[in-house]
Amino acid sequence: MSLDLATAPTEPLDKSNRLASTRAGGKMVAEYWDNIFTAKERGKHVVWYNGTALNPIFQAAGLEWCHGEAFSARLAAMHLEGPAQAAGEEYGYIGELCSYARTHLGCAVMTQKGITEKQSGIVGMVDQDELASKLPSPDFFVNAYAGCSTGQQWDAMTYRVFGKEFPIFNVSLPMIWGNKPDAGYLRGAEWETTPLYVEEQLKKLIEFIEYQTKRPFDWDALSENMSYIKRASELRLEAMALCAAAPTPATYWDWVASIAPINFMPANQALVDYFQGVKDEIQYRIANSISAVQNEKYRVYFDGIMNWNKLGFLTRKFAEHDVAVVAGRYTHDSFWQEPDLIDINRPLLGMAQHYLICPINHGLKIMEELLIKRCDEYGIDGIAFHSTRTCRAMTNPQHILAKTAERDRGIKSFFFEGDVADASFYKDESLESGLVAMLETIDQQRSRRA
Amino acid sequence: MSELDLTALAVLAAAAGDPAGYARRWKAENNRPVVGSFPMNFPSELVHATGALPVIVQESRTPITEGRSLLPEFYCSYTRSVADQAAVGELDVFDAFLLADHCVQLLGAADVIRWAKPEKPMHFAQFISSMDDPWSGAQVLDKVRALQAEVEEIVGVTVTPERLSHSIRLFNEDRRLLREFWDRRRAGTLRITSRQLQVLVKSSMVMDIEEHSEILRGLLANLDPDEAAPAGLVRLHLSGHFCAPPRPELLDLIEECGVLVVNDDLYHGARYIDTDVPEGVDPFDALALWYLDRNISAPCGTRVQRNVDWDEYLVSSVEQSGAQGVIVLMAKFCEPLMLYYPELRKALENRDVPVLLIETEHEGLAEEAVRTRVETFVERIHRNEMKVGSSVS
Repeated sequence: MSLDLATAPTEPLDKSNRLASTRAGGKMVAEYWDNIFTAKERGKHVVWYNGTALNPIFQAAGLEWCHGEAFSARLAAMHLEGPAQAAGEEYGYIGELCSYARTHLGCAVMTQKGITEKQSGIVGMVDQDELASKLPSPDFFVNAYAGCSTGQQWDAMTYRVFGKEFPIFNVSLPMIWGNKPDAGYLRGAEWETTPLYVEEQLKKLIEFIEYQTKRPFDWDALSENMSYIKRASELRLEAMALCAAAPTPATYWDWVASIAPINFMPANQALVDYFQGVKDEIQYRIANSISAVQNEKYRVYFDGIMNWNKLGFLTRKFAEHDVAVVAGRYTHDSFWQEPDLIDINRPLLGMAQHYLICPINHGLKIMEELLIKRCDEYGIDGIAFHSTRTCRAMTNPQHILAKTAERDRGIKSFFFEGDVADASFYKDESLESGLVAMLETIDQQRSRRA
Repeated sequence: MSELDLTALAVLAAAAGDPAGYARRWKAENNRPVVGSFPMNFPSELVHATGALPVIVQESRTPITEGRSLLPEFYCSYTRSVADQAAVGELDVFDAFLLADHCVQLLGAADVIRWAKPEKPMHFAQFISSMDDPWSGAQVLDKVRALQAEVEEIVGVTVTPERLSHSIRLFNEDRRLLREFWDRRRAGTLRITSRQLQVLVKSSMVMDIEEHSEILRGLLANLDPDEAAPAGLVRLHLSGHFCAPPRPELLDLIEECGVLVVNDDLYHGARYIDTDVPEGVDPFDALALWYLDRNISAPCGTRVQRNVDWDEYLVSSVEQSGAQGVIVLMAKFCEPLMLYYPELRKALENRDVPVLLIETEHEGLAEEAVRTRVETFVERIHRNEMKVGSSVS
């Protein structure tokens, strides 16, 4: 039987030119997870955590850290999320639940079955070849989730999946609601006082960790870790700023590929070297007129959490339409994005401040301010809103942000359907038709201006 | 078995069915502000102590139209309805809004109100949702004081300890009166439908509390002495459904399938009235204590607490009421309930308590499909009972 070429699904023509330097990040991340899988054999304490980047604290305490969303994202990016999601579904989680949580809770179910297997002596209950079942069981949990109420509830359930056998510590991160006249991004009384409350909780977290590990906390190591993060963050932001150039030398997809390093890799010289490498390559591209998208015609901002199943596909898809996705809320307003806040002599305050400026932890007024700022910085023509099916935190202001961009800057936008870690929600037709329609509108705007 | 005075009930049903209409009339008669709040933990006593009318904003029965372009379709029906009400002007009667609960979907709806009605104050004093940390109590008290400052500014009246204590007494009394109906239902001595109970609670969320209590007293006074419960019905517990009430038609349908609902932990039910605000202590402290106590007397999936489990509470509640099964009512896209449901199912199944999950949506009810599922569930319980009976004999 011959293939009907007229109807066969086709991969987008690849007009993208991703950074080569980010491949080093992929290697770092793979080695990191391989190391985690052997933590128990090495006699290490393991902490499971969700939400904000507490890893500099864990690193200073000599722990091995497993970030829930990060592992779910990794499984989805490798198209290996199926077994964990199936285990979660069998346990009773409904398909509309946050797919990060659903995937990670499925991992918890599989890990817990592994413990039961060891205790019962019955082997074969869990296939250890499945990546999803390889997480080492936790010694304790820490939750510090900003913005999304589901985040805290998710770990409360993971705690129960493991039969409440391992202790849990909750850091409560209030939303920066931004209701008062003085409120805004990094300003106002609310901003001045809330980090102090969080800083005090972080001190209590460290006491908790000291109790769990029976070791005094190494404050010097924390300061050193934060010095590496501060430098890596500065380099990342400097490199991002270079992408204001048109055509852009790197795209949002390159910054997505760099999320794992900045979000949970060990803080060390290798992390700094990684972002130095990224910045060097971008500078080289600018010097040699190498663009990230062949024939860049449109500059688009991406709002929404990443669709990890589709990273490569979306990179090619947008480039096929001569679209350079140059910035996004998820990449540019997250992950140690204000290095000036980091004071290595008082590291916990800067950490607390960063946890509170998570891009889903602001009220609408601040999110509008940030969106317009980014649109101006990067010369944005249009916005792609990823209507992320199971992520209510990232989607809740999107319709109003679209209206704000149109009202304040005349910037057009479109919505497409997908999800963070569940490929079944992705609708290619909604992306294709929405993108094409938006680009046509941008063309009309340009012809009117001309 | 006693039955309710339907005329008095109709007064409550009218307010429950049209909270905005009730608020408009109240405002015209009293010339004082109406302050909207949101589920599930806002202390209405604080607003009442200013002389304003506290109203918990309800899900509207009208179809969602303009709200569709303001919140995604994969938000719960309550939050999408609130966004829609803001957009179409149904919330115009409110002079201000206050909320204390951190739910990501609810905050999305609150942001829509801020966007649609920028002239209306919308204050968020986020009560900590991790209930058993050393700093939880102090944090809640701090937020109670923040709410006090906000409401005083909105209404222009100082909340004195005396005024707040008076309001607390009134709300406690109303909850006590409501609990009498639940107690009598559990005991099988009051013929009352789940629809009627929903009216009693929902109206208490939107009406002047003294007027509400007066009607409740009248209803209770006219009840006949206790009689035996009807035989042959399957006794069920209704669980879940946070923030908004399940559609009354769904409750009717369940009861038409040979079911006697003997207890519930619905927000528009026992969950709302289970906990009184402590009296005899500083009234501001008391509101903070009430918030922390609520998750102990009726644990909720929206809060986290190491030593409190909704599943264990549910099992205990089922044992006390003699329920033969549980129907979990889940508003579609309600994440805390989606997260907790497997634990509820596991705990119930470990005790051989049959459980049925029914998801609900804002628009539409697949009546016959749900009826078939409930009938099958009831039949399954009957068969299980017969098996138990035959094995015993």
